[in-house]
Amino acid sequence: MTRALQLLILIHFTGVAQARTWTHKGGSGGTLREGIERASPGDTILVSGTVSEGTIRVDKTIVLLGKVDAVIDGGGMGDVLYITGDHVVVRNFTILGSRHSNLDDQAGIKVNECRGVVIADNVLDKCFFAIYLSGAKDALVEGNTVLGKPGEEDHMANGIHLWKCNNATIRNNRVEYHRDGIYFEFVTDSHITGNTTKHNLRYGLHFMFSHRDAYEDNHFEDNGAGVAVMFSRDIAMRRNRFLANRGASAYGLLLKEINDGEIIGNTFQDNTTGIMIDGCNRINVHDNVFRLNGWALRLFANAIDCDFRGNTFAGNTFDVSTNGSLIPNTMNGNYWDRYAGYDLDRDGYGDVPHRPLGFFTLLVEMQPYAMVFSRSLFVSLLDRAERLIPSLTPESMKDDKPLMRPPVRGGRSSAKLNERPFPYSTLGIFHALFFIPAGPWQDEKCRMMNEKWRKPERSMAMVNTCIFPFPNLPHTHG
Amino acid sequence: MLKVFKYTLIDLARNRFVLGYALLMLLVAQGLFALEGDPTKALLSLVQVVMALVPLIALVFTVVYMYDTLEFTQLLAVQPMRRSAILGGQLLALAAALLLAQAIGLGLPLLVHSPTVAALVLSLSGSALVLVFAALGALIALKQREKARGVGVALAIWFLFVLVYDALLMWGMFTLSDYPIEPFVVPLAGINPIDLARIMVMLQVDLAAMMGYSGAIYKNFFGSVGGTIVAALILSLWVAVPVLFAFRVFRRKDL
Repeated sequence: MTRALQLLILIHFTGVAQARTWTHKGGSGGTLREGIERASPGDTILVSGTVSEGTIRVDKTIVLLGKVDAVIDGGGMGDVLYITGDHVVVRNFTILGSRHSNLDDQAGIKVNECRGVVIADNVLDKCFFAIYLSGAKDALVEGNTVLGKPGEEDHMANGIHLWKCNNATIRNNRVEYHRDGIYFEFVTDSHITGNTTKHNLRYGLHFMFSHRDAYEDNHFEDNGAGVAVMFSRDIAMRRNRFLANRGASAYGLLLKEINDGEIIGNTFQDNTTGIMIDGCNRINVHDNVFRLNGWALRLFANAIDCDFRGNTFAGNTFDVSTNGSLIPNTMNGNYWDRYAGYDLDRDGYGDVPHRPLGFFTLLVEMQPYAMVFSRSLFVSLLDRAERLIPSLTPESMKDDKPLMRPPVRGGRSSAKLNERPFPYSTLGIFHALFFIPAGPWQDEKCRMMNEKWRKPERSMAMVNTCIFPFPNLPHTHG
Repeated sequence: MLKVFKYTLIDLARNRFVLGYALLMLLVAQGLFALEGDPTKALLSLVQVVMALVPLIALVFTVVYMYDTLEFTQLLAVQPMRRSAILGGQLLALAAALLLAQAIGLGLPLLVHSPTVAALVLSLSGSALVLVFAALGALIALKQREKARGVGVALAIWFLFVLVYDALLMWGMFTLSDYPIEPFVVPLAGINPIDLARIMVMLQVDLAAMMGYSGAIYKNFFGSVGGTIVAALILSLWVAVPVLFAFRVFRRKDL
C-alpha cells in the first residue's frame, strides 16, 4: 500500500496529467486490453468479473485493482499477464489458465525488464510458472497465494521464480504444489520474509548463483527436499522453520558451495537430514535447534572454517555425520542431549569434551543396512566403548565446551541460565529408587548444599553427598 | 484348566517377583520421564531398557517359577485331569501375570506421559516380547531337569538374542558388504524377535532417519501393512512353536 502511495506522489510531482480511475467489467463493453490502451500512465483500472482475452500486456505505469470476483483467465494461450511497464501494480486478482510449456516459460504473471512492480494479494491457481520475474528491479511480491497442481516434475514449474533480479522483496506468500516453491537465480540483495512453502515437489526455496540475499521467518514443510542454497555467497538465513522434509535425498537445508553465509536461530525438525553442508566456507551456524531429525547435521570434509555454536541437538537419531577424518571447522558451546559429562565448576559448560560423531554413525555411513541396529544394546555398548577410547571417530570432531542445558532463545545466554541452583527436587527420584525416606533434615541439607555450590571449593565428594545423602557414610566427609 | 489357571494366578499374585517386576518397570519408566524434560527423549531411552530388560526378566522368571512349582505340578498330575490342561493353565496364568505387571509398570507411565502411537507400539512389542520369552522359558524349564542348568540356558538364550545375534549379523554385513546382501538383510533382521520388536518401534521413533536411504529397505517392508502382519505372524510363531514343543515335552515327561 505504501508503494502505491509513493507511486501516486511520484506521479503527482512528475507532472503526469491527472490520474484517473477506470472501471472495467469482464465480458461487457470492450476488452481489458482496450482499457489498458486507453489509460494513461498513472491511471487505475478497477476490474470486476471474469476477463478471458488470452495474454494481457501491461507496458505502462498503471494500477490494476481487482474487485472480489475479479478473475483473469489466460485460457491456456500463453502468459496470462505480461508486464513490461515500470511501477505497475497488480492487486487482488485470481489468475489462472497459463499454458504449460517446457519450450518457453509461460507464467500466470510474467514481469520482464522493468522496475518497481508490485504484485500483491493475488491468488494464482494451477499456473505453470505462477509469478515469474525476469530482469526486474525493486519488485515487491506480497501476500499472494500460489497453488499449483500436483503432478510429475516434467509438467511442473516454479511458484515464484526470479531470474536476474535485484533488490526484490518476497513477503508473506504461500506457495504449494509447485516444483520449487520460490526459485532465485542470479538474484542479488533481496529479501524473502514470512513465506510458507509446503508440498512442493523439489525444493521449498532454491538459490542458484544469488548473492547477498536474506531469508527470514519462513516456514518450509514437507517439500521434496526442503531448501537448497547453491553456488552463492553472503546468504543470511534466520529464524526459519524447516519441518518434515523426508526422503532418501531430502534435506531440511542443503548447502552446496556457499561462502560466508549465516544460519542463525532456525528450527530443524523431523527432517531426514537437517542440514547438509557440502563444499562450504565460513558459514556461521549459531543458535539453531535440531530436534528429532534422522541426521541433524551432515558435514562433509570439504567444508572449511564453519563455526557451530549455541545450537541445540535433541532427539536426533544421529547428531553429526561426516565422510572424512579431517574436520577444519569449529564446534564449541553447543547443547547435545547425548552428552554424558559433568560440570564441576558450574560454569554452564561440561568439563570434558563431547564427541558428537558416534561410532554407529560411522558404521551406518560405511554400511547403510546397519541402520537396523539403531538403539540396540550391542550398538550402544560399541558406542560407549568408542567414546571412552576413540579409535575410528575423528579426533578433531569434538565440542570442547558442551552446554549443560539447552540455550534459551531470545535474550538470556545459556551460561547465565546455569547459575540457577542445582535442581534438588529431582533427587526425590533417587530417594524413590533407593527407598530412602525423605526426612525434614534433608531440606536443611539441600539448602546448605545450595549455598556451598555457589562457592568455589567443590569436590566430587559433594556430588556423592547430594546423590546419596547418607549422613554417616565415610564418603560424605568432604 | 480354568481351575489351574485360577490357582496359579492367585499364587502369582502373591509372588514378590511379579510385584517387584511391576514396581521396577514403573520406577524406571517414571524416573526416565521425570529426569528427561522431553517425553520423546524419555521414550527413546525407555526403548533400550525394554528391549534388553523385558526378555531377560520374562525368561528368567518363567524358568525359575516353573522349577519352583514343580511339586505343585506333580500334585496336579496325579489328579484325574489331562496334562495339557495343567500346563495350559499354568502358562496362561504366567502370561496373564507378566502382561498385567507390564501393563502397570510400562503401559501406565506411557499412557500418562506420552500417549502417542510410538508408545502404543512400544507397549505392544514389549508385550509380544514377554509372551515370546515366557514361552521359551517354559520350554527350557521342561527340557532341563536341573534348575541351575535351566537358568544358565535361559541366560545364554537371552544373551544370544540380545547381543550375539546382532554382533554376528553385523559382522556378516560388513564381511559380505561387497555382495548384494539386500535380499537377506530384512529376513535375517526379522527372525530375531528382539530385533523385530525393535524395528517396529524404530519405525515410529526414528521415522525421519528410516525415511532416508539407509533405512529405506526396512521401512518399505516393515512399514507397510503387509510387513506389519508378517511381523505379527513371526512373533506369534515365536510364541506358538515353543509352546507346542513345551506341550509335547510335558506330555511325555516323567515328573
